[in-house]
Order: sequence, then C-alpha cells, then structure tokens
Amino acid sequence: MAKPFDELRERLLRGGVAPRHVRRYLRELGDHLSDLKVDESSAGRCPVDAEAAAQIRLGSMDDLAKAMIEKRQFRSWSNRAPWAIFSLGPLLMLAVAYYLSLFILWSGWQMFLTGTDTPFLRIHGFATFYFGVGRLIYFGAPILVGWIFFLIAARQRFNALWPIIGTTLVALVSGAAQIRASRTAIPGGLGHIRMFFTLPSSGDLLLGRVVGAVIVLSLGMAPYFIWRLRTRAAI
Amino acid sequence: MAARETNPNFMNGVPELLILRLVQQEEMYGYEIVQAIRGRTDSVIAVGEGVVYPVLHGLESDGALRSRRRTVNGRSRIYYSVTPAGRRRLADLAAGWTNLTAAIQTILTGGRHGEAV
Repeated sequence: MAKPFDELRERLLRGGVAPRHVRRYLRELGDHLSDLKVDESSAGRCPVDAEAAAQIRLGSMDDLAKAMIEKRQFRSWSNRAPWAIFSLGPLLMLAVAYYLSLFILWSGWQMFLTGTDTPFLRIHGFATFYFGVGRLIYFGAPILVGWIFFLIAARQRFNALWPIIGTTLVALVSGAAQIRASRTAIPGGLGHIRMFFTLPSSGDLLLGRVVGAVIVLSLGMAPYFIWRLRTRAAI
Repeated sequence: MAARETNPNFMNGVPELLILRLVQQEEMYGYEIVQAIRGRTDSVIAVGEGVVYPVLHGLESDGALRSRRRTVNGRSRIYYSVTPAGRRRLADLAAGWTNLTAAIQTILTGGRHGEAV
C-alpha cells in the first residue's frame, strides 16, 4: 500500500502541491483504500483480488495526481512565486535576525555598560551570556536562514538553484554588513547603533569579508548537498 | 472498470453540485459521499473514487464546506458539512444545472422549432 502512495507523494510534490495538502490527501486516500478493501473482501474476493479491485476503484495514479495538481489553490507559495520565497524570504528573515541581534546589543549596552562610549568592550558575568546570545544570532542567522530555505526546497522537491540564489544573497549581505555604535550620535546619550552594508577598500579586510561570505555559503548549503548525496546513494 | 469519456464543459461543476447536495443533508466523510453518489445514481456517475478529495478540499478552501475529525468505531475520519456559503453555492449550481438540462431536453424532444435561429 505504501509504495503507490510514495510515488503519488513524489508526483504531487514535484507538481508543486503544498506538503500539507499532500499529507492530508494521502491520508484520506489511505483511509478510502482501506474501506474499499473491506468492501471488496465482503463481496467475496480473496485478499489479492480485493486489493487490486480497490486500487482500480480508487483511481489511476495519473488521475489521482492530475486531480490535485490541476487545482491551483493547492499549490505552495514557493511554487507560485519561487523568486519571492527564495530571494526576498531569506533577506527578510535575515533582516529580522539582524534587528533582533542589534536590539540585544543596544539593550545590553544600556544595562551593562552604562556611560561607556561603545558596547564593544571586554565584559564579564551575565553580560557575557547576554551579548553572546546577540552575537550568536548575528553570526548564526545567515547559516540558519540558508538551512531553512534549503529545507523548504528539499521538502517541496525543488532543484537546488533557487535556494542557492537565496543563500548567495544572504552570504553577500552578511559579508558586507558592518555595525557602528556611538554614544553621542543622538542627543541624550542613549547610544545609537547603525548597521550599513559596504565592502572595505583595504585588500586584507576585503579578503576577510569574502572568506566570511564563502563560509556562510558553504555552511548554509552543506546539509542539503550531504542529504542529496545520501539520498542518491540510498537509491 | 472501463474509462468513461466525459465532456469537461458539461461536467463542469457537477461533482461540486452532487457533493454539496449530499453533504447538505448530513455530515459525511469521503468514502460515504462516493458510495452515496454511486448508489443514488445507479453507478451512472462513477469516477475514480480518490478524485473526490481534491473537490472536497477545494470546496473547503472556498469556504463552501467545513471539516472536522471524528473517531467512529475506532477509526478517525474527516467529516464534511456544508456552510452557509456552500448552501448559496449549491442553489446557484442547482439553478444553472436545471436550466442546462431543461435546454438540452427541449432540443432532444424537438421543441421550439425555429426559435434558436
């Protein structure tokens, strides 16, 4: 029973049907097939004939797949607008993560480093943990965002091109991101943190940024390609 | 079961019409709906039974049906019932179908000669 539905699942996912619709469809088909088998068995068929008759009544693989794929309302957003999901989506998620990490930096500065001109100082105790969370989000977000969008691509049987585009954009943005903090930039001495995106003119610094972007790109893509290799090896 | 050829334009809306009509009377799950269609039409309308689910899901997504999970005799099933929007859609579909069948019947019985010119 599992084998034909496995094939149907693949066809639906490759046809762009959203995974949640696929799950529900297959579940109801499974229930329906069980009912049909009981029906055919009670009509006096042997189990093998009952199974075959039930499959015929349920419908051919082509019909079952076509009926679902034809309905546009069941398509996933990634299928309808892959350019938006895989390019704008990662950038939006990265922006949220950066905003959160900058808020942690700013609030930590207000709480633990009152009166200092910069939050980039040696710190101790709970402040180390607090700033550490912000740092983890800042440096980990580009890689995590890459993983999330490769996972989406894998679940929906997309080829790797779209998530590669998204992860490349994320790697470029993270490589160009810089933070400046100033206590005196705004009146009141509350402290001001600014993020901007630029590439340094110095060769060494530029090389460091490029290496950082390549690391983000590699780590972001690695799990997907390992999974692809393992899946291919299993086949 | 031999494949049955259908005219998609004429069959357009028929599965929705039948499903909404059946579910209007009582809450049903997919298998029950298909068996009811087979039984009440003497198997004149017989399709691959699994293709009823995309229609059900589509109607639910349009707000014409609602679903809930119920466990009956130890088996969990998804039951469908009609919503007020579904009742309105049923009325529209039924009116359209009644007009269509009346028009076809008129032609079949040779009525209204020359009026179509």
